[in-house]
Amino acid sequence: MPLLEVRNLKVYYDLPQGTVKAVDGVSFSLEKGEILGVAGESGSGKSTLAHSIIGLVKPPGRVVDGEIIFEGRNLLELSEEELREIRGREITMVFQDPNTYLNPVLRIGIQVGEVYEAHLGIEPRKAIDKVVDLLRKVRLTDPERRVESYPHELSGGMKQRVMISMAIALKPKLIILDEPTSALDVTIQAEIMELLIEMRDELGAAMIFISHDLELLGQVSDRLMIMYGGRLVEIGETEEIFRDPLHPYTEALINAIKYVRKTELPTLEGEPPSLLKPPPGCRFHPRCPKRMERCSQVEPGEYLVGSRRVSCLLYEEESDA
Amino acid sequence: MEAPSKMSLARYVARRVLQAVPTLLILIVFMFILVRILPGDPARLIAGLEATEEDVERIREALGLNKPLHEQFIDYMSGLLRGDLGTSIKYDRPVLEEILARFPKTLELAIAAELIAIALAIPLGVVSALKPYTKTGLLATIVSLIGSSMPIYWLGLMLIYIFSVQLRLLPSSGTGTLAHLILPAVTLATLLMGNLVRITRASVLEALESNYIVTARSKGLREEVVVYRHALRNALIPIITITGLQLGALLGGAILTETVFAWPGLGQLLLTAINSRDYPLIQGIIIFYAVILIVINLVIDIAYAYIDPRVRVSLWSSG
Repeated sequence: MPLLEVRNLKVYYDLPQGTVKAVDGVSFSLEKGEILGVAGESGSGKSTLAHSIIGLVKPPGRVVDGEIIFEGRNLLELSEEELREIRGREITMVFQDPNTYLNPVLRIGIQVGEVYEAHLGIEPRKAIDKVVDLLRKVRLTDPERRVESYPHELSGGMKQRVMISMAIALKPKLIILDEPTSALDVTIQAEIMELLIEMRDELGAAMIFISHDLELLGQVSDRLMIMYGGRLVEIGETEEIFRDPLHPYTEALINAIKYVRKTELPTLEGEPPSLLKPPPGCRFHPRCPKRMERCSQVEPGEYLVGSRRVSCLLYEEESDA
Repeated sequence: MEAPSKMSLARYVARRVLQAVPTLLILIVFMFILVRILPGDPARLIAGLEATEEDVERIREALGLNKPLHEQFIDYMSGLLRGDLGTSIKYDRPVLEEILARFPKTLELAIAAELIAIALAIPLGVVSALKPYTKTGLLATIVSLIGSSMPIYWLGLMLIYIFSVQLRLLPSSGTGTLAHLILPAVTLATLLMGNLVRITRASVLEALESNYIVTARSKGLREEVVVYRHALRNALIPIITITGLQLGALLGGAILTETVFAWPGLGQLLLTAINSRDYPLIQGIIIFYAVILIVINLVIDIAYAYIDPRVRVSLWSSG
């Protein structure tokens, strides 16, 4: 049994202008200890996907359909209290911008200690020793003093270490990382990545690693999922995808990395699709170099090619499924 | 960052007091000129219609109004520096004495009204932010609507009509006992609550939208902890601002309320001073009011610093 299985998940935002289908029928599974990279442009639905797994989609967003099975239980059917016990203990999350995701008026020691408060019933002030140990583990310098600090007294990288410490405190089975290094300086990014990899090795937790940086995902993930316009485009072994991308969108992304290295930048023509009024047929067809007549008329299904799943009409015939 | 030491707090207060000096000076100059370019000759108004030219001249001399403007100003300023706000024409007593005699009454009314407003409006605002579509949410909307749209003198008169005239439960005017305080304080509190409920509700809603709330929830914290420890503390900053400004405004005297309930506070005194063209008294009250506002602002800033550590840094360490 996989650790996590997401089936046909649909998360929509009801806006005055209409319904935004941020995640529109996404399915995937995750084994224990596995790292799944999720890539896509901004607005592809990857962040909404992450928030929905931990049950924290902000209104007006709502999960309209699907199942999120974690260790055999459908999270979407749990009560708020049952979900609360899983959050922060079994499933944790590290967010993109540590500057806004830490409370500006509470001391670091309290904010980290709250994890122990929520799940072990230890008052934050009495958990200070544990917090200091934890902060040392994420290699925050001078942890004894830092527990007394407020977020604004720490640098971005230090704050992200604090966020990571909260996520690993109770040795969770799944850590969701939503662009954990995107808001940081390049030099700090490398340090934080190093820490994350170290934590993965130590904890053996499964991770969903969300990023728009495909190259980074190529280095850390076992499997890779590419999203476009709220849909899954391709999912499979990271290595295989890099060697031989099936979907034209995946191919364009991987080419972009290769060409960046040569400093000539072939950009993908066009813009990401509007999720309010997605294009008919395949959502990628207006930008697709390999589009066919049918692409604008028929919505592609998901086809199995070897161990990979791809959503493109090019593979309709080849499909094993 | 630790709570500020006594030294740094004292230094900060001293700096702020010094900064207030130019503000006050500008205000005094402005007021001084304004009072003197108003139409009408104060001496003639004071002397009355039947006074002779000599009488008027004598009053003018007594008030120092026959001197050139800059000399008048120097006289006034040198008086101020000695703590002399001049002598009230109507009451024939030092202005400061007259103000200080009335101020405790104003203070009493202002604090009573503000306490009632805080005690009711903040819980109401919080609940309505958390549960906007419940009865409490509706009640909050109604209270804020009433508070911000009902003319206060009308409300005061209605309360007098109901509780004094019809039910005969409470005195309609005057001062002295707690019973005297209830109607004017409730009237004023209703006005204050309108704003306070709205601000509380809006700032709690805004805080709940913040990203750190998502983090707090992702840790598996109970919703009460999320709301009271994480959201409300951040929401307190605008709430304190409004409360402080309200209190500042009230300490200058709630003219309408004091008039309706014949409450002998600063507001009534100002009204009397204006009606009787008692220029020294008008000037004195305005300066007194300005000083109060400066003090209140200082207190608000210090309160910020206790709630928000980021403010603390900029307040205590700069300069």
